[in-house]
Amino acid sequence: MPLTWISRSTRFEREALPHLGALYRMARQLVGPEGADDLVQEAYLRAWKYFESFDSATNCRAWLFRILRNSWISRWRKRRLELPLTETESETIEPYYDWEEEVLRDEFSAGMQRALLELPEDYRMALLLADVEEFSYEEIARIMECPIGTVMSRLNRARRMLVKLIQEQREGGTMDKIDPQPERTGRRKS
Amino acid sequence: MMDCKKLREILDAYVDRELSADANAQAEVHIAECHACRRTLGRLTRLRGAVRAAVGEPEAPADLLERVQGSLSLRRTRARAIQSIAAALILVSALTLFVPSVRGAAATALDYLALKLDDSRQVVLEGKLLCRDCQLEKEYGYHAMCPVTGHHGSIVTSDGRIWNILEGEKSSELIHNSALLGRKVRVEGRMYRKAGSVAINDYQLL
Repeated sequence: MPLTWISRSTRFEREALPHLGALYRMARQLVGPEGADDLVQEAYLRAWKYFESFDSATNCRAWLFRILRNSWISRWRKRRLELPLTETESETIEPYYDWEEEVLRDEFSAGMQRALLELPEDYRMALLLADVEEFSYEEIARIMECPIGTVMSRLNRARRMLVKLIQEQREGGTMDKIDPQPERTGRRKS
Repeated sequence: MMDCKKLREILDAYVDRELSADANAQAEVHIAECHACRRTLGRLTRLRGAVRAAVGEPEAPADLLERVQGSLSLRRTRARAIQSIAAALILVSALTLFVPSVRGAAATALDYLALKLDDSRQVVLEGKLLCRDCQLEKEYGYHAMCPVTGHHGSIVTSDGRIWNILEGEKSSELIHNSALLGRKVRVEGRMYRKAGSVAINDYQLL
């Protein structure tokens, strides 16, 4: 018994804890910097609780992201009202048409961050899982508990919507002036 | 042969490296030949890059790992404590069963522990049957509604405490029969100390 205990704990430290940085990055996108710590901590507590059920032959990072998503849904997400996505009605992938070269001129703009926040949450999460975390469609489907076809349509729509949102910001003249550097993450000297 | 329309439908899967080897090869042939699609692909790739750049690489606060580890070790300590208690109980049970000299002491200890845990125990209680509400009116000026709702019998012990009688087959008479009010009674049952209540198994009017 004690041997099993030690190995479970060691395994958790070795397999689950190294993904803390990635989980934190996603948590910040989901709940903002002020709630990210709590969300990550809760996800890890859940993960520890259910670690027995984790199959070590599978991807621990994907398993943790799924737990993170579940924690987010049960505690944080319900605070915000959002219309349900009607994607079940059509899961078609729409072809890309050309958009102006201008749109992505300022890649590090605050506008992109704002456009991301304006995406419906499931679109945003699918997009972040694919583009930032580089999960496969199959892994994203498992994390988000939906069919692969839904993952594909969410990604497709998210990207098209993102371009549209940035275009609108630009046309509306509400685009923030560009911060030449990406968001500062280090501590500032006071 | 793949045309522009078909390529653009699978463009997400292409940039996400999700196409089969065969479809991927076909897409690459078309991209190599078609300038417009190459430009679209370039924009989509830049869009992905822009998303990554906007998210950045935020560093988790330095104490987050410690906090997570701390909360996990707390769980582990708790689990270990529960294991230790379980082990101790098994040991006590074994001693109680197999060592006669320990049996008595262990039984007393367990009885004490049980009382501490649920704060209830079997008792024999003696006292006077009085109406609870009337008694509260007499002592505290509570406005009793007994003329409307009827009296509610309870046991008042010599120390002045009023014990509620819990409803039950045996206790019904004691609670609802006003003719018994004022009588001395000895009851046997379980006392719930915190709730100030007694569940009655049997009673004797004295």
